[in-house]
Amino acid sequence: MENLLSEIAHCIEFGKINLASNYPPDLKGKDGADELTLMALEAGFGPGEILESGLMKGMEKVGIKFRENKIFVPQVLMSAKAMSAAMLHLKPFFLSGEAKRKGTFIIGTVQGDLHDIGKNLVSMMVEGNGYEVIDLGTDVTAEQFIRASGQYPGSIVGLSALLTTTMANMESIVKELKEQVPGSRICIGGAPVTKDFCDRIQADFYSPDPQGLVEYLNEMAS
Amino acid sequence: MRWLLEFYKKNMDITGRELVRNAIQLQEVERIPWVPFVGVHAGALMGISATEYLRSAQHIIDGVSKAVEAYAPDGIPVSFDLQVEAEVLGCKLNWAENNPPAVVSHPLLEGVEIEDLKIPDRNSGRIPVMLSAASTLRETFPDIALYGLITGPFTLALHLMGTDVFMRMLEDPDHIHQLMEFCCEVSIFMADAYAETGCDVIALVDPMTSQIDPFSFETFVTPYVRRVFDAIRNSKALSSFFVCGNAKQNIEVMCKCGPDNISIDENIPLDYVRDIALQHKISFGGNIKLTTVLLMGSEEDSMRDALECMDTGGKKGFVLAPGCDLAMATPPGNLKAVTQLVQDELLQGELRASTASVSEVQKLDLSDHWRSDKVVVDVITLDSSSCAPCQYMVDAVLRACKPFGEAVICKEYRIKEEEGVQMMATLNVMNIPTIVIDGNVEFISQIPPIHEISERIRYYLENKSG
Repeated sequence: MENLLSEIAHCIEFGKINLASNYPPDLKGKDGADELTLMALEAGFGPGEILESGLMKGMEKVGIKFRENKIFVPQVLMSAKAMSAAMLHLKPFFLSGEAKRKGTFIIGTVQGDLHDIGKNLVSMMVEGNGYEVIDLGTDVTAEQFIRASGQYPGSIVGLSALLTTTMANMESIVKELKEQVPGSRICIGGAPVTKDFCDRIQADFYSPDPQGLVEYLNEMAS
Repeated sequence: MRWLLEFYKKNMDITGRELVRNAIQLQEVERIPWVPFVGVHAGALMGISATEYLRSAQHIIDGVSKAVEAYAPDGIPVSFDLQVEAEVLGCKLNWAENNPPAVVSHPLLEGVEIEDLKIPDRNSGRIPVMLSAASTLRETFPDIALYGLITGPFTLALHLMGTDVFMRMLEDPDHIHQLMEFCCEVSIFMADAYAETGCDVIALVDPMTSQIDPFSFETFVTPYVRRVFDAIRNSKALSSFFVCGNAKQNIEVMCKCGPDNISIDENIPLDYVRDIALQHKISFGGNIKLTTVLLMGSEEDSMRDALECMDTGGKKGFVLAPGCDLAMATPPGNLKAVTQLVQDELLQGELRASTASVSEVQKLDLSDHWRSDKVVVDVITLDSSSCAPCQYMVDAVLRACKPFGEAVICKEYRIKEEEGVQMMATLNVMNIPTIVIDGNVEFISQIPPIHEISERIRYYLENKSG
């Protein structure tokens, strides 16, 4: 029965959503993350176990392959879709508190910026690695980040920006958040963002890819 | 001596427009042409918002004229706005003070079908704004190469369908082909319209292609953009393929689409692009750093970065340009510094010499650097925060070192800092990035798998205890 979990991991890794999905071609006509997760629950696997040994295993491989330029956004999005299909069955257990997650991550694209591809990829990689993700969407103000941080004590905050001009808003959000919520940890990312910039605005962490962030969160959670 | 006179006369007379056209057609040029990609930045020169700027032909004409006066460019775009076509086709835009507008709605996700979409006409939306600005600028600046920028079909497809395009490419490829077919028609329409105004270069700007792999590119992008480039050739204009973002994996397939030129940003090393483009007999352009240098750096930083591009690019088939659309708040002084450098060969020489003196740096005394009981790993980088390969190498080393704990000392040396330059010279390192273990150059440029680094560390460690 251990097989069921590794099959789920395989579906996440290769973006097989459900039986009906034609992608990837070599899994056509087979069960996907959707069906297999239900089967695993019925077979008595705990939701935490399915998340850890199924979804997270698959997602980690996706993160590494993405970092190494072996796969690109389309493939990652298919994996994300497969993961959401599986999470739909697991979420009730996490919501009821029956199963625990590693921590909470608040994310949003900063004020003035409406780009969300990068932010969404990061959200789902973080979720797929066992965290609860609070996605505040795009064009998010400092107040919204502060409010969410208050609502989820101990959470880590992620700011995304795609434009050089909205990078400037990152600076003010980091400053306000650090003032209003002392001790908060803030990660930043996005195409124009660099480590230098991160140091300059005194954010806590920068990674050029989602996997780096997941590793940072794991370090913080351990 | 008469030939010399004639030679001079010929070269004195050559216009920026000819320089750009020659460079794009791979002819040797006396001086590298400079094409600042001025878009909403011209709004800043005029003291108006991006929104006001991009909505008025007169503002665009005035703004480009100001930029021409300030930066004496050899070529310049009419405008840099990849939302013009999307807006006409029903995408809602969010207008901003300091940025080009952003697409916020995708009609194909809101009930519109591909069959419902119509090729725009020349009076739709802001198309007449762009075209009339182009016509007037053509008359006003007969000696400057004008670039007409059109939205590439893949980026337009993303505007129309959102990121669902990525998933449907895999799940329902026929549907995406149908959409690309339409977007290709729109691109050809826009290319023809700009060519008729007299633009020298039609630039197909398709940044979203940086997000896909070469195989998907060949399947979903190549057949369509190739048709656009054929149409541009038929209209007697030159073509350029712009891509912003890290599209390193796709440079080869981009060249195979048959543009006259490709232009890239700082995410891709210029020498890499040069080698592939020239192999395909295509000219290339780029890639002065938009943010860390032009926007945030000094005039000297800007000149040094431009010089590096020029020395890599050479005088055959290279157009000096920023990586992409200039940020609105780019300090004009930085762009003027680049102009000065481009026009002054003496200044280029001086700057080169002052860079060369770096290689005669004083070497460091490293006797305290080495340890009898610990392995010392030095990583020489440009700067792991701005150079992706450097970053991944540092990352890999840190991860490899971690299990060894105290037994390994690891440090990054950035050659942006003096200590880094000295360290590089002292350790006889020739390439960036490089991993040096106990003074021996172990890994160059390529990022090794972590276990290989661990193995080397273990090897040195064992030799110490033994």
